[in-house]
Amino acid sequence: MHHNLLKALLISDFNIENLAGLLNNSDELPVIDAVCGPYGQLMPILINGEHPAWKQKPEILVVWTRPEAISETFRRLINFERVLHAKVLEEVDEFCVPLSRAAKNVKTLFIMAWQIPTSFRGYGFLEWRKGIGLRQLVMQMNLRMAENLNEVDNVLILDSFKWAEKSGKSAFQPKAWYLGKIPFGNEVFKWAVQDIKTALSALSGRSKKIIIVDLDDTLWGGVLGDLGWENLILGGHDPVGESFVDFQRSLKAISQRGVVIGIVSKNDENIALEAIEKHPEMVLRKNNFAGWRINWDDKAKNIIELVTHLNLGLDSVVFIDDNPVERARVRQALPEVYVAELPEDNLLYKNFIQDLSCFDTPKMTEEDRERTKMYVMERKRNELKIEVQSIEGWLRSLETKVKLAPFQKEDSPRILQLINKTNQMNLSTRRLAESELINWINQTGHKMWSCRVGDKFGDSGLTGIISLEIKGRDAQIVDFLLSCRVIGRRVEETLIWTAADYAIKQGLLKIYAKHIPTPKNMPCLEFFKKSGFLFNQDSDAFVWELKQPYPYPQSVQIEMS
Amino acid sequence: MVKVEHEKVIQILFKAIDEVNLQLPRAKNLKKSKDLILTGENSELDSLALVNLIVATEQKIEESFENSVPLAGEHWGSSQTSPFRTIESLAEYIRQTLEKKLNAS
Repeated sequence: MHHNLLKALLISDFNIENLAGLLNNSDELPVIDAVCGPYGQLMPILINGEHPAWKQKPEILVVWTRPEAISETFRRLINFERVLHAKVLEEVDEFCVPLSRAAKNVKTLFIMAWQIPTSFRGYGFLEWRKGIGLRQLVMQMNLRMAENLNEVDNVLILDSFKWAEKSGKSAFQPKAWYLGKIPFGNEVFKWAVQDIKTALSALSGRSKKIIIVDLDDTLWGGVLGDLGWENLILGGHDPVGESFVDFQRSLKAISQRGVVIGIVSKNDENIALEAIEKHPEMVLRKNNFAGWRINWDDKAKNIIELVTHLNLGLDSVVFIDDNPVERARVRQALPEVYVAELPEDNLLYKNFIQDLSCFDTPKMTEEDRERTKMYVMERKRNELKIEVQSIEGWLRSLETKVKLAPFQKEDSPRILQLINKTNQMNLSTRRLAESELINWINQTGHKMWSCRVGDKFGDSGLTGIISLEIKGRDAQIVDFLLSCRVIGRRVEETLIWTAADYAIKQGLLKIYAKHIPTPKNMPCLEFFKKSGFLFNQDSDAFVWELKQPYPYPQSVQIEMS
Repeated sequence: MVKVEHEKVIQILFKAIDEVNLQLPRAKNLKKSKDLILTGENSELDSLALVNLIVATEQKIEESFENSVPLAGEHWGSSQTSPFRTIESLAEYIRQTLEKKLNAS
């Protein structure tokens, strides 16, 4: 039995068994156990939460329909009958009602965007005219569905157009339709599997967080040590030079989405940094990189060092290097790292990087957009750490401010992101959907605080959470998690102090924390071992007796809103 | 006269089996054997697997020979004369049909 096997229910107006088979056979995490709802039962399953198809309690629902199956009016329109397009949109609205209801039964509802076969010419050059064209209408249907379901947090509409485009001629299979009521070729289903897996991986916090790039023939053309930075192939009126600039622009664009960039390159560090700062056509400068390891050491070793320094996991790394030998080395030494198979032709680099799905995230927050800036600030903080002797002295010199706030709805996207992504400083690694979080908060005796951390170098944003569940005269710390970028700056103690202070005011006797081990949350266990809490073997918990207040962290300024 | 190698068609059918196996539970994967029975009581293929095999084979034949051999319209029975008895008989049927087509054009 797989540790994280997710149950999926697939419902459709056509034969969707091939998608189920491909999903079940895909080893990529999370592993899925997919079953198809009975054929012809799409609406009964959606409408009736007691339908036998729900018995296995799926966590995922996949709904894939043809537009003519959910809209009788659309079916008439493809026969070129004269019917008002507005009627189709009303039918889309009606279809969205059971969809949003069904979304409540599962953690994630995937809906495939509607499309019509490429072979259907429709009204030809009038296809994009409003009120006439059916392709135009299908787009409107998709938009209408997206608008209707926009507020349903756990609904993801997947872009089936892209799958058809990538599958080319074999996307639509009229023969398979007549033989087995399968409208699409296998390529389409394979792309669908990839997107479903990507989304589930992102939802469980496994999106890639860092791109580590090589320099020579990857960020620029030519070998720096041989040519000198003045003669690198980069920019100018040259297709190759232009392609490297475009590649750098694409990397910079990805960093705006919250993915940080690092360098691991076999070069002389000073010469490489000089090239990065001085070459007039460089798009990426020092401040665009969260960190680098530029030396003549083994690249696998350098990658480990860099991600450890940045408090990231190896499984959050995408490694990009033009040299197949280096790629093979990293792939062999660090199987957790995603080693991208960069095309041989550098004119294709930009398209290649833009097509990677591993950076997809289920939400986009301000913290994501600012991530590179935060890592650059962290680098500067660490430079200060070298100058200042003691840890306490360093912490005081940072002028850290922690602003705490009880749970508020507007913070929930970022709180959920932290809950579902944080691995290392995470007590229980409890993963939650938005509805589950709200439901938990609303229960009596449940309390949650989030904190924003700032210092003289800048604002790290909402980076920590603690939650309590009051049980009689005691309180259990249910969630205790902190973003990697503020670990070790007494924010941990600040969170505990906040919860303990609240518990004292409620007249409670003790607070306790149960560490649920995962392969990644050892740092949290280490923190509790040193936190002053006593480990009680009988209850398997770290306990603090509240007759004594938890020590106030001296090097931090606390503000409570 | 253009000759189509029987063995080349067999290899194409094996690739089509690989494609079908992607959707089948691992325990039910089809063996790449010339004797694999495609239809009838002793067949290991359910109707969906047979449909997938036909579609994948047609596609791969077209990719390899730039010529099509429509199988979907053929009678799928398991009688002695049906091409869909085994991989061997299907390969032979495809080979003959292709040869006829290639030599007629």
